[in-house]
Amino acid sequence: MVSEVALTIDLAIIVFSATLAGFVAKQTGQPTIIAYIVAGIVIGPAALGLVEVSELTELLSELGLAFLLFLLGIKMRLEEIQYILSPIVKISIPQMTAVFLAGAGISLALGFTPLESLLIGLAVMYSSTAVVVKMLTDKDEATSLHGKIDVGVLLVQDIVVVIILAVLAAGRPDDVAEVATTLGVVLVLVALVTVAAVAASQTVLPLVFRRIADNKEVFFLVALSWAFLFVFVSDNVNLFLAPLGIEAYLSIEMGAFLAGLAIAQLPYSKELQDRVNPLTDLFVMVFFVSVALDLGTDQLLFYAQEAVIAALVLMPVKFLVFFYLIDWQGFGTETTFLGSINMMQVSEFGIIVAAVAFEGGFIDAEVLGFMTLLAIFTMSVSVYFIEFNHQLFERFEPTLSRWTGDGSFEGGKREYRDHAVVIGYDEVTRNALPILADRYEDVVVVDRTVDHIETLEEEGYDAIYGDFRNATIRKDAAIKKAAFALSSSVQPEVNKALLREVSEDTVVFVEAERIEHATELYDRGAHCVVMPPYFAADRLADYLRAYLEEEAPFEEAIDDDVELLESPEPFPEPADRLGGDLDD
Amino acid sequence: MTDLLTAVSIMFIITGPFLLVANRFELPTVPFFVLAGVIVGFFVDPELTLELAQYGIALLVFSFGVDIELSTVRTVLVDSELAAFGQILVVGSLGFGLGLLLGVPPGESIYLGAAAALSSTIVGAALLQREFDTNLVRGRLARSIHFVQDLLAILFVLVLSAATLAVDSVATVVGYGVGLLVAALIVNRYLFDVVGEFAGDSDELMILAVVALLALFVGAAEFAGISIVVGAFAAGLAVRHDPVEYLGLFNGLESIKDFFVAIFFVTIGALVVLPFVELGWTESVEKLLLAGGLVLLTAVVKPAVTTAILISQGYEARTATLTSLNTDQVSEFALIIAIEALLLGLLSQSVFDAIILAAAVTMATSSLSQRYDEQIYRTLADHGLLGSRHEKIDEWSDVPADLSDHVVIVGYGRQGQTLVETCEHLDHPYVVIENDPARRDAVADCDAFVFGDAMERYTWEKANAEDARIVVSTVKSEFVSRRILSFGFDTDLTLRSGDRESALELLDEGALYVSHSDLLAGQQLAKQIRALVDGELTPAELRERQQAELEDRADRLPHIFH
Repeated sequence: MVSEVALTIDLAIIVFSATLAGFVAKQTGQPTIIAYIVAGIVIGPAALGLVEVSELTELLSELGLAFLLFLLGIKMRLEEIQYILSPIVKISIPQMTAVFLAGAGISLALGFTPLESLLIGLAVMYSSTAVVVKMLTDKDEATSLHGKIDVGVLLVQDIVVVIILAVLAAGRPDDVAEVATTLGVVLVLVALVTVAAVAASQTVLPLVFRRIADNKEVFFLVALSWAFLFVFVSDNVNLFLAPLGIEAYLSIEMGAFLAGLAIAQLPYSKELQDRVNPLTDLFVMVFFVSVALDLGTDQLLFYAQEAVIAALVLMPVKFLVFFYLIDWQGFGTETTFLGSINMMQVSEFGIIVAAVAFEGGFIDAEVLGFMTLLAIFTMSVSVYFIEFNHQLFERFEPTLSRWTGDGSFEGGKREYRDHAVVIGYDEVTRNALPILADRYEDVVVVDRTVDHIETLEEEGYDAIYGDFRNATIRKDAAIKKAAFALSSSVQPEVNKALLREVSEDTVVFVEAERIEHATELYDRGAHCVVMPPYFAADRLADYLRAYLEEEAPFEEAIDDDVELLESPEPFPEPADRLGGDLDD
Repeated sequence: MTDLLTAVSIMFIITGPFLLVANRFELPTVPFFVLAGVIVGFFVDPELTLELAQYGIALLVFSFGVDIELSTVRTVLVDSELAAFGQILVVGSLGFGLGLLLGVPPGESIYLGAAAALSSTIVGAALLQREFDTNLVRGRLARSIHFVQDLLAILFVLVLSAATLAVDSVATVVGYGVGLLVAALIVNRYLFDVVGEFAGDSDELMILAVVALLALFVGAAEFAGISIVVGAFAAGLAVRHDPVEYLGLFNGLESIKDFFVAIFFVTIGALVVLPFVELGWTESVEKLLLAGGLVLLTAVVKPAVTTAILISQGYEARTATLTSLNTDQVSEFALIIAIEALLLGLLSQSVFDAIILAAAVTMATSSLSQRYDEQIYRTLADHGLLGSRHEKIDEWSDVPADLSDHVVIVGYGRQGQTLVETCEHLDHPYVVIENDPARRDAVADCDAFVFGDAMERYTWEKANAEDARIVVSTVKSEFVSRRILSFGFDTDLTLRSGDRESALELLDEGALYVSHSDLLAGQQLAKQIRALVDGELTPAELRERQQAELEDRADRLPHIFH
């Protein structure tokens, strides 16, 4: 029998305080991550003590990380990251070694025991996936070159953290061989899951998603189902392996990322980004708020001074290590600078490593508090560096370029400008496409039907699969820079959104079904509102008149129409007789 | 990883394949969520996800509130579509009676009544999308019936939370409910745009603010001791807004809703105790009897009653039948009511299960009845079950006895109206065929008209189609077009079609001409773009010319056709 369930007030408090803090941050120009962390400290046991960690908040913050990585995976097209795979490995391994040494060294100097120092060293090696990926996504830099380097390094770190967690969870390792075995097993598992994901993206997924792509709800939920499958398998991999006598773990973030990666190879991934994004934002918010929910003031502040000192030493060290290594791999000055400055914080994984070490009896609660404070402090500071990374670069560029090698590794995306955007491919717009293709260098068509996208691509048009209501899609079509826009959507909100975003010089054609909609669209600046039912009504009336008065052109006109109906080509060359002989 | 994450993962993993099946056969998703939930129930303790499911409920009701158009409420209330109330009363009482008959205590039988009476907007709307698109009478009618039912469901939930209290506190609870709604309207009017301004271009903050608002209203409802459904509904009203300025917000809310609502429906399924598998024989038979009765009431009696009421309201038999067939399923609101009652301890497990099972079954059968609705109607009509319709047609039509060589115009919409104008201009006799009660007054101004269904042969006899010069149909429905062709009139026939393939087929089958609006508009569009590209016209000139044309058109047409 079911017992009564009241909704816990915790989540409401979290959402509400995060919203308030978020708005304050927005008004004062601070990044929202800081707002969320501060909100967590205020409502958590360290200050007001309103909220404790509950199963629900824990779920949502886990989902937050998982979705964040899933989203990231969706954005990664394999052909776009393949070429930086080798530099990423060459950067991340020495980086972690160097930072480990620095971390352990500074801990020893601050008076921690050798064991504690060793563990602190292991905990500070990683940069924060949550901070970096969230900031990159917010700034729309996740797929830039430095973004890809950072994300790649984070994933390698992720593998390492999983291994270290596995070792720590197993208790004190007996010998180096045991560590090596764990390492081997985890690498094999990661490889297996990657192969499974890539294989699926070549075989099953295109078939499945092609069928469901036209159904918004099913498409979204099946994609989530796919993500959860990977999350579940990664998380329970030790259960599956237990009968074989192997103990191993994978992180759910890794699983989610690979699930996303498989979908990214499909043409429908753009649309999915916009669907997953809001959920991710919501859940990641819960994650950042709950970072500070675990600890009381005593534990958090016991080593406060040491934490600040360690942070002030580690951040520059991390930056320099990254800077040297990325430059060494031949990337340009800007990429090197941005890629390094993004990565100078200590990760939330540092807290998790410390928490597991604490549970295993390796360290005291105060050391855990030290790690938490160190992570929160460095994350908060680094957020500002990431926020203003471009300004910083411009400031220091002259100095920097003296120290860096020549970049041989740059890639740039082609951007649309003065192009034509067509929203919706249908009977109304298909006649217009060849004319536009003659006049404009690029014609971008946005459509939500898979068949249409395939037809368009075969004909050499740039086609974007997705709903124009989504911001990513509008951005991809570069609607703001378009010289010409044509929408065959009859939904006023789509057309109004279009008119809002285009520049003053853009020529805009839209469609409407009702006169008051058309009037409004003209008021908002449309150049031409096409109204098929009215136009067809006029045409039909003309035909009827011709028929009743037994005029000769009638037969001709309807024959022409019928011929047009029969023309099977997707992009007919419109004949000169357009408009018919009966209009006059 | 928490147990909860495992539970949610399993839910989604199992639901995925079910959704693929639903999509493959073009069935509504809701029953498949519930079915997936039944399977999930074997692996996951549904108590784990109950709290998440509650958020699903909140978001479901919330988005109903967001989508309400207050103008719709007004038209529905003055329209003859109040028929919905009568139907709810009759079928609700029958459901209540069924419960009593099968030995369910009166307190629980109320829920059976609610389950039988309310129909699902989600399922109905998904099935009717095509009818909405083509602006058919029955699309509009079904939509407003669903809408009235949803409003009543929320009222029911409000009263339900009051029913657990003493009589004198009922007023208090209703007072709280009204208070929340008032607060919502204040937020909507004064606060929402301020928040929007503060959020600037950040969709993230705006979504967060709205979720916070939802949490606040739900919390307030819980604090006042009324159902969270009422709080969520009020929050929805508070956020109701023209989506243009907040595209990111409303898109984002949809994702969040889809996620939690999926969890809600799956949890519902997981809560079901399966007959025979998890239960003994006697109990199982009882439960199935209850569920079977409910299915019968919902899938057979409810459409029958609705048809009868609509016919008595003046709708002709086909529209009435087809509309009613869209209401032959249990509502998602009935599920919400059931789970709320279950959690409050007002409903026993077996009645709850019966409602859920009946809901899953009827939501699935509903798509079948939708698919074969024309055949169902024809069978009923051929057996004379829908009564004689000719008197009504005779009573409402006005055709001169000697009408010949005339134009038969089917449909009195924008196109029909323009055609009538043309005929009047040429002084050529014509007759209009129309069946939408909303247009009856307008049609009555025509020289000659038949108020009847174009699917019926009698309507055409009445219009004297055999002696007509030409028949011009402005109805996009392929069904109607084919039916008209099947009558085999000797006159010329022009039809209208929504897509190229069927237009070509109709031509092959003997139509003189098939008008396809989009194709014609496409030509016009191409011409205008070419004029721009070739420099014959500047964008400003084009805009001026087009705008003048529009104004001219607006002056010519009576307002209802805008």
